[in-house]
Amino acid sequence: MIPSLSQNMSVISLITGASVLVQIVLLLLLLASMFSWYYIFLKIFMLKRATRLANEFEKDFWSGGDLNELYQRAVNSRASAGSLERIFEAGFREFSKHKKQSGTDVGVLMDGTRRAMRATYQREMDMLESYLPFLASVGSVSPYVGLFGTVWGIMNAFRGLANVAQATLAHVAPGIAEALIATAMGLFAAIPAVVAYNHFAGDVNRLATRFDSFMEEFSNILQRQVH
Amino acid sequence: MSYAYATQDEKTISGAMALVMHLLFLLLLVFGVSWQHKQSDSAVIVDLWNNLPALPQPKAEPPPPEAKAPPEPPKPVPKAEPKPKPEPKPVIKPDIALKEKLEKERKLKVEQEKLEEKKREQEKARVALKEKRAKEVEAKQLAKEQDDALRKINEMQAAQAAARGKQIDEYRRRISEKVKRFIVLPPNLQGNPEVEFDVVLLPGGEVLGVKLRKSSAVTAYDNAVERAILKAQPLPLPPDPALFNDFRELKLKFRPKE
Repeated sequence: MIPSLSQNMSVISLITGASVLVQIVLLLLLLASMFSWYYIFLKIFMLKRATRLANEFEKDFWSGGDLNELYQRAVNSRASAGSLERIFEAGFREFSKHKKQSGTDVGVLMDGTRRAMRATYQREMDMLESYLPFLASVGSVSPYVGLFGTVWGIMNAFRGLANVAQATLAHVAPGIAEALIATAMGLFAAIPAVVAYNHFAGDVNRLATRFDSFMEEFSNILQRQVH
Repeated sequence: MSYAYATQDEKTISGAMALVMHLLFLLLLVFGVSWQHKQSDSAVIVDLWNNLPALPQPKAEPPPPEAKAPPEPPKPVPKAEPKPKPEPKPVIKPDIALKEKLEKERKLKVEQEKLEEKKREQEKARVALKEKRAKEVEAKQLAKEQDDALRKINEMQAAQAAARGKQIDEYRRRISEKVKRFIVLPPNLQGNPEVEFDVVLLPGGEVLGVKLRKSSAVTAYDNAVERAILKAQPLPLPPDPALFNDFRELKLKFRPKE
């Protein structure tokens, strides 16, 4: 079959004219792209809120309020509390429990408090980092998937060329064009995912550092209270 | 439950935004990238006219007749006036005799009449000339217009013929290309001999008859080409049935290497 020279190449016709495997690849990439964009927007909302809540709590904490009062508030608004507030709550609860049993060693008391805070910190980090692995894998894998579709399409284009005595560019061009659509799609899915992943990873990292330093400072404050 | 998970609202918004992103991308692909292939009328045949005889002139000509006409009338007027001047001369001369006077007067009258007649004739001639010129100009314009129209028609016909010729050539090429695909070259074929076949086609592209016109001197190759022609049917024909006449009897030439 000679692809006619005057064949009109619109994107739609390229996609519908592609082989089944290329179409499957395209569909897969479209899904990956859809989900990665969905998670990108979701993550933007989540991280923005996490940063806002952390800011608010830090302001409250360092404005010099009563720790017991702060703790009460954190317990009451547990559902809407930020990560930092949860860490504080966990640490303070552990600390006050130990303190009631008089006669415990300061080292043991502080260790327990730190452990409680560390556990909450891990859980919070896990939440903040959710969906990031998905973005990472879309970013790294979808170019390869697209490339696979392209290679397959070009293979077909050349195979069709085999039984043509006089090979012209017009014989291969449509096949290659439709094959390259797969690469374009793969890159379209990968580029935003990679950019978003790097951006979000940076954000999460910064939050983690803040939590870490808060935990250290809070431990110091508690230790001072013991004496 | 926890703040870290997204609320339902955020999920819907995110989903909608993702959809919008992809719609934008699709629109960009479909409308933003003009996928080449304007192609349209690829080759255009152009006639180069070294010195266009009439095309610029018809525009310049119409005014001249008008411009020429006004200066013309003054010419005959000065011509007509100098002639009546001889009149006064004879009037001064008389006084010799009444007869002579009378005669002279008569002569004068006659002369005057003659002069007037001449004048009239001149006027007539002038009017006639004017009319003649106007007619000539008109005729010229008409002729030019006809010429133009003829030339335009000729050009159009030439363009159509060129388009037809192009299509015919295109399908000739396709036919030989299709046949070439079916040629199974005989082994150890030497040189590049040309074989020529007369092929009679039916409107559907079926081959009615194949006749060897000029052998390539390699019988195996001749046979291979003949088989290929039969195998290649239906041969591609232009969609326009009017062009079929040019394909009814085809002369196809093939070479093993091209």
